[in-house]
Amino acid sequence: MANENRSVWTSISFWRRSAAWVTGFAVILLIWLTFDTLGQISMGTDADLKNKVTKRVPAPTVINYHIDYKYNAKRGHEVPVIGDKQPFFGKEWSEEEAAKLLHLGKLTSQAKNCMDCHTLLGNGAYYAPDLTKAWLDPAWQNGGPLQGMTGKNTVEEAMAEFLQHPSQYPTHARMMPNLGITAEEAKGLVAFLKHMSSIDTNGFPRNFSQAAKREQGGTYAH
Amino acid sequence: MGTLFEPFTDVVPSFFGWLNQGPLTLTIFLHTVIILPMFWIYFQEKKKLNK
Repeated sequence: MANENRSVWTSISFWRRSAAWVTGFAVILLIWLTFDTLGQISMGTDADLKNKVTKRVPAPTVINYHIDYKYNAKRGHEVPVIGDKQPFFGKEWSEEEAAKLLHLGKLTSQAKNCMDCHTLLGNGAYYAPDLTKAWLDPAWQNGGPLQGMTGKNTVEEAMAEFLQHPSQYPTHARMMPNLGITAEEAKGLVAFLKHMSSIDTNGFPRNFSQAAKREQGGTYAH
Repeated sequence: MGTLFEPFTDVVPSFFGWLNQGPLTLTIFLHTVIILPMFWIYFQEKKKLNK
């Protein structure tokens, strides 16, 4: 009779079994989520680009295409749209060349420590502008103040020129220092930035285009 | 936005993408799989204590 009044809430085995269940389930869920994410972030192939298969992370040869940033009403933010072929530094890059250039750009971005000041795909600092979608910044396009300032006719040439002589160009309240970036490294960095801008980041950085329009004269995408 | 169920618009189809379409779908799923078994554990323990 007295046993019927014993509370389950004070029973150690109830709490032990509950904790084991919750922990065990969370472990399985996290392992599953890890593999689920791998599918989402794995890089597409050149064939995907040719067949217009949309991937979150396109192949390096995406640098041969025009990249647009369009508002998607269903998703409630802008998404990169890969368009027609567009020469990059005046030529079309093969799969090997594009991969090599992108690799050089990535290594340079690490060697020059871009993330000390800039943000790349959510990693880094906000001392200088967010570079995740820098390639799409209207200021670097034809007629934009940043492209005009370098005297070049394409986005890639303007960016490469700026990267080699950043301290010559007034772009930001906190001007970029000269990092000794060579012409080849600058090409790699621009390819790296173009590829990064083609990655579907679920709209990150939030309201990039509006921010870029609002604050003319720099990649002010916060 | 604002509706519980919306057409699936994720780039790469995935179970969790489908599950996370609305504000409550993931919450309901996690409560189902975590809280409901705890009720079962509770009544099992109660039965054991009463024996």
